[in-house]
Amino acid sequence: MSRIRKYRIGPMCLVAASMALPLTTMAEEIGNIQWHGYLTSAFMVSSDGNYSGDVSDAGGAKDTRMGLNISTQVDESLSFAAQIKGKGTEEFIMELDWAFASYDVNEAMTLRFGKIKYPIGMYNEYIDVGYTYPWIRPPEGFYNQDTVGPNLTRISYQGFGVDFQTYSGDTELGFNLFGGVIDVPDGHVNQLVGVKFSANMEDEIRVELSANTGVMEVDNSQGREFMMNGERHTTYTAGVIVDLTNFIFSSEFGQASMGRKIAGNRPMDMTSGYVMMGYRMGEYMPHVTWEQWDVDGGWGQEVIGVGLRKELTTNSALKIEVRQVTPETTPKPAGGLGLFSDVPTEKDVTIAGVAIEMVF
Amino acid sequence: MKTIAYRFTILVVLWLASMAVYADDVVVVVHPSNPLMEISVDDVKKIYLGKKKFFPDGEKVIPGDQPKGTQSRKFFYGGIIGKSERKLKSYWSRLIFTGKGTPPKIIGFDRVVKEWVASQPKAMGYIMRSEADNTVKILDLK
Repeated sequence: MSRIRKYRIGPMCLVAASMALPLTTMAEEIGNIQWHGYLTSAFMVSSDGNYSGDVSDAGGAKDTRMGLNISTQVDESLSFAAQIKGKGTEEFIMELDWAFASYDVNEAMTLRFGKIKYPIGMYNEYIDVGYTYPWIRPPEGFYNQDTVGPNLTRISYQGFGVDFQTYSGDTELGFNLFGGVIDVPDGHVNQLVGVKFSANMEDEIRVELSANTGVMEVDNSQGREFMMNGERHTTYTAGVIVDLTNFIFSSEFGQASMGRKIAGNRPMDMTSGYVMMGYRMGEYMPHVTWEQWDVDGGWGQEVIGVGLRKELTTNSALKIEVRQVTPETTPKPAGGLGLFSDVPTEKDVTIAGVAIEMVF
Repeated sequence: MKTIAYRFTILVVLWLASMAVYADDVVVVVHPSNPLMEISVDDVKKIYLGKKKFFPDGEKVIPGDQPKGTQSRKFFYGGIIGKSERKLKSYWSRLIFTGKGTPPKIIGFDRVVKEWVASQPKAMGYIMRSEADNTVKILDLK
């Protein structure tokens, strides 16, 4: 039966069939295809409207999303994996998040090609899978909701990747070289090339350093897009996650050089970073995060947030979060302050949310 | 206060000792035709965490897993791999949802795993020592 489904009905029907499966079903195997998925049900409210990602003063569930993931091992060296993502409350958008083929040259080297999640930032490759991190929304100065933002996070590129992996004692060392093209609203990032170095000590300490560069070409000739159009941007990031039995610490720093030079300066250059600390007490993990996002043109924001994660089962968690966002006072070229699309009426804006995250 | 600290220390020591005993009760098994006689704990860890796809002699390995809740799985992951179910779920989620790996296939309980390993030359499994017989080969862990 599974073979008939696989070959006669086609992949889209398999997607539809999988959506009817009970959520308690863990990874399902149909033939040699493995199915997995994630769900986020979230509600966020802001004391001032117009915050990035449509967090309004009336509240909203725009962070609610789901994803389905398939993978199959074609032979001993070749495998294929793809993920579709669905989100939205008024208009439900289903899209191909990523899909690529992997070829294991040997145990130390893997080639990938296709549509691949952008590998910059420690959480970016699984940014939509909220179960894997403490926050409802990872720090937004770094993991920007805005696809024309500082680090081009939350998106996928079309191209290739080469992964090298080796060991030094108990430490796993990785080197990733990638390149291709990124689609952004009304344009592309061309000539994209990047490298990432990672070290993983027994999954208790993970360190990453990355650099990438590309040229943004966008049709829109207004505001920030105009200032970035045709310009080469270069981004550097550094990050560390310490995940011990009870204590968790995570910090990243990013610096992006982008946009036109105006009067000898690049007003679009920006830095972003955050520090998070949490402590597990059984099923509960309270955490606190400080984040800063600065743009040389004078706009950015500082955020202090506290949250609580409670493990519901081994594959689901409840999250509660409150943040105080203090935007800089200089309006950005496209209007608004920080990640606000309009100037807020309050100096400090409070954003609160609750979410249930699940993987299956 | 001293008494509490003393009792706590005794409990920790007993718990650690019990984990070692339990870990020893779980054995790693392969097909009888497999030429390996022993394998390092580090290699077993890497194989079951998707970081190694070949036996130390270069042959392809297919690891088989047990469902959550079995005694073998509890002792194997707690005593040999060194990961709780929560950490394991978080670890595999990071690999699955980046397309970089999938967990070992769930085969079943001890008896089913033993039968699967006995029929699959590339297989590796873990079962309670009391379940093992001459249809599978027990690898010494070094």
